Amino acid sequence: MSHLLRNKELKELGKIYDWVSMCTHCGNCKYGYEYGPKANFAAMLCVQGDKFNFDSYRGSRGKVSLARSLLHNRIGWSDKVAHVLFTCTSCGACQQMCETDIKPWILRMFETLRYEAWKQNVAIPENIKAWSSTIGTLYNPYKEPHEKRLDWLPSDVRSSLPNKAEYIYFAGCTASYRRKQIARATVSLLQKLKVDFTVVEDEWCCASPLLRTGQYDLAAKFVEHNKALPEKYGASAFITTCSGCYRTLGRDYTMDAPEGYADKYGKMTGVKVLHTTHLLEEMLNKGEIEFTGSFDKKVTYHDPCHLGRHAEVYETPRNVLKAVPGLQLVEMYRNRKFSYCCGAGGGVRGGFADYSLETAGKRVKEAEATGAELVTSACPFCYTNLADAIELNKSPLKMEDIVEIIEPIVKRK
Amino acid sequence: MARGNNEILANLEQIVGPEYVSNEEADLQPYTWDMTWAEPRMPDYVVMPKTVTEIQRVLRLANHRKIPVVPYCNGTNIGGLCVPEEGGIIMDLKKMDRILKIDPETCYAVIEPGVSHAAFSAALKATNPQWKGEEFSKGFEFGWGVHPPSASVLAMAINHGIGHLNGRLGINSQLMSSMEVVLPTGEVAKIGSCAYSDSWHSFLPLPRMDGLFTGWLGTTGIVTKLGVWIFPIRPYRDVLTVAAASAEDITKYMVRWRHYSLCDEVTAVSWWLAQIPIVFPYSPKPADAPEFFSYTVISGWSEEELAYKRKMWQEVVAKEKAKGTKLIDFEYPPEAKKGRTELPSRIVGSTKNYSKSCGGGIAWPGTFAPCKSWPILYEKWKEIYIRHGLSPATRFTDYQGAHYGMLRCMTPFNKRDPASVQAARDAMVECVRAGLPEGMLPYKPPVEYQNELNAVADAGYLYLMTKIKDMLDPNNIMNPGKLGIR
Repeated sequence: MSHLLRNKELKELGKIYDWVSMCTHCGNCKYGYEYGPKANFAAMLCVQGDKFNFDSYRGSRGKVSLARSLLHNRIGWSDKVAHVLFTCTSCGACQQMCETDIKPWILRMFETLRYEAWKQNVAIPENIKAWSSTIGTLYNPYKEPHEKRLDWLPSDVRSSLPNKAEYIYFAGCTASYRRKQIARATVSLLQKLKVDFTVVEDEWCCASPLLRTGQYDLAAKFVEHNKALPEKYGASAFITTCSGCYRTLGRDYTMDAPEGYADKYGKMTGVKVLHTTHLLEEMLNKGEIEFTGSFDKKVTYHDPCHLGRHAEVYETPRNVLKAVPGLQLVEMYRNRKFSYCCGAGGGVRGGFADYSLETAGKRVKEAEATGAELVTSACPFCYTNLADAIELNKSPLKMEDIVEIIEPIVKRK
Repeated sequence: MARGNNEILANLEQIVGPEYVSNEEADLQPYTWDMTWAEPRMPDYVVMPKTVTEIQRVLRLANHRKIPVVPYCNGTNIGGLCVPEEGGIIMDLKKMDRILKIDPETCYAVIEPGVSHAAFSAALKATNPQWKGEEFSKGFEFGWGVHPPSASVLAMAINHGIGHLNGRLGINSQLMSSMEVVLPTGEVAKIGSCAYSDSWHSFLPLPRMDGLFTGWLGTTGIVTKLGVWIFPIRPYRDVLTVAAASAEDITKYMVRWRHYSLCDEVTAVSWWLAQIPIVFPYSPKPADAPEFFSYTVISGWSEEELAYKRKMWQEVVAKEKAKGTKLIDFEYPPEAKKGRTELPSRIVGSTKNYSKSCGGGIAWPGTFAPCKSWPILYEKWKEIYIRHGLSPATRFTDYQGAHYGMLRCMTPFNKRDPASVQAARDAMVECVRAGLPEGMLPYKPPVEYQNELNAVADAGYLYLMTKIKDMLDPNNIMNPGKLGIR
């Protein structure tokens, strides 16, 4: 009987075999769809299936089927298996559409498959292997020296920050090394709003790229290290502009499987995790923010998968944008839970840059179709991919993070 | 790991382009199984053609080299129909996903095989019935069935799929109007009005050659374009519900109600099917619970029309009660009601029934049967299912008046447990065997059912079927093994 667990060596995958078996193979995951009283939403959401066509790449059904085929010893590991696994951006669109009991386990299953792949002699993307080889000592996936992590922070600002504070601003690797203007704008914004925060020099990568690419063993020390930061700095909360960090700190550090990895690394307790937009929305609601200018542009918002589908934060960033004087918010056809991934996540930007940018190019075209002048998002990693695609495609669009829009035109009431 | 041979692979790459063909097991594995208990079987290649010409070239190659070809869109047919019995080429038609025409005046659309229900319903809803620019109402609809949104409209129609307009208009294959097909030997033929002009409105009054490709489970050719009738959405809709003490009672009510041809659909489900999830394994229903629950969907162009239909339905229920038919007043839960009125909804909630509670397996003996056989067969099936430890989660649905209807029994099973799989398979095959003398015929039949059918079929029918198959597909390359005749 071919549906029986035969491969006992895939221990991590074997642990969730019962959940893998819950997939009915119905294919609901392959397409985005929702009834509406006037019009239905219908669109392809799986960026991987969009690019690589075959059912193996399309939605979660193909990957569940792959897991089962491996567990049943019906196929062996190969470079092609690795390609199927590592070209998924973990955007969660298939999970969003799934209606069976496997639903909450889908992303965990993808990551577990990748964990198993690392133990096989298969073609893990070279760029992922490259950053993986140094992240253990540099604490970031960009192969940058750790001691330069805070180079984005002007020295006078750095010296003005307290040693201990209520919030730790967790800039994340992308804002620290690649999109420094987002980190600088965030610090300036928090200062303008008189938030009690600090920035810490011993921030390490949150471990998002490690967890998303199945590098469980390597991730352990990162989680352990970062979890200790609030106590060390007397903080009760992390605040971050990065959706990847938000998902990892807020879910992987604090929730058991399948939502997080607390079952594996222990639970972070007593620490709040906020995205910057959460704080902004809260202060706007309390009337604590005064706008000193306007932003007279038509803007479209791209939902980062880690903030949107992974953490179900859809309205908060929109509420913040809607509060900005002059800003006209327009939606892309695929938005919120039906958003289309920018193509960067799940290690894809590092592993398959061309495909990643091609995906971002599709999203840029969709943004252009709204008539917006500017795309905004709430994630430096989405920012990077979309901004690069804008440049590559010579799009007239501009790209700014939400904090970059807000920072110049606010003050604390 | 690769399968097949490099020469064939190279030929296929030449036809569709390298990125649309694969012989890697990692790519082939999702095509080896489906929701049912069909034993997984590995194809040797998967190709994704984008044009009719590419399909022709692939079929010519396959015919020349005698390689099986299995047409595939989404693989959600509940019959193992796309599981390649003898390996060969999976022809995945998803890239052919154009809605080629929506004619809002003649009320038909022309679609390719890869058009999903989701995309089709969105496009139809955005098109308004009209005459030379004057719009009459808002939006069109087609027969929306119980399936994931990615399911192919074309594949469902040519395999006698069902939809929510069954009671009013018949099953989806009755809503087809023209087709284009590529024969196994590579020729292209148009069938119906499209054979004479670019109007795809009707098969009639021509010979019904569409029958050569409808209900044949992809064994006679590949339908590359399909004309289907579309229908203006009626703005008023309601769901009326009643329960009954027995299959006999619910059938009496359904037969009388559908006599008037006033509903879009009338369906009844047994107590076990009404539970979410379906009771698995079998346990008895509470003694005081009705055996069957029924809903009927009525629609209209005005509240008055709806009120008239409601009144007629109330009269039917009252007359049946007066006769002694044991009908029980019962109100559908609001969520379930919404699911029947706000169509097409994501009516795949039923897949929930086959997941955690059992182990991911789902199948059913789905059949067309004369309605008078429903109560007889229900009692037989119930005995069979309970004997195999399964719940008789049965559904009756009327199709277009008095002529025939659907009888099926939803069957969850645990894919990880060989005994559970065997029990489900045995129960279903036994049900088919029991039903054939009562006029019941399985639709989208897996090979096991086909064997039961062939065992009792008229010899002349099988002879003709074989002759047609041989004529169209001399090398038996199209989905071989599915009909049980070659």
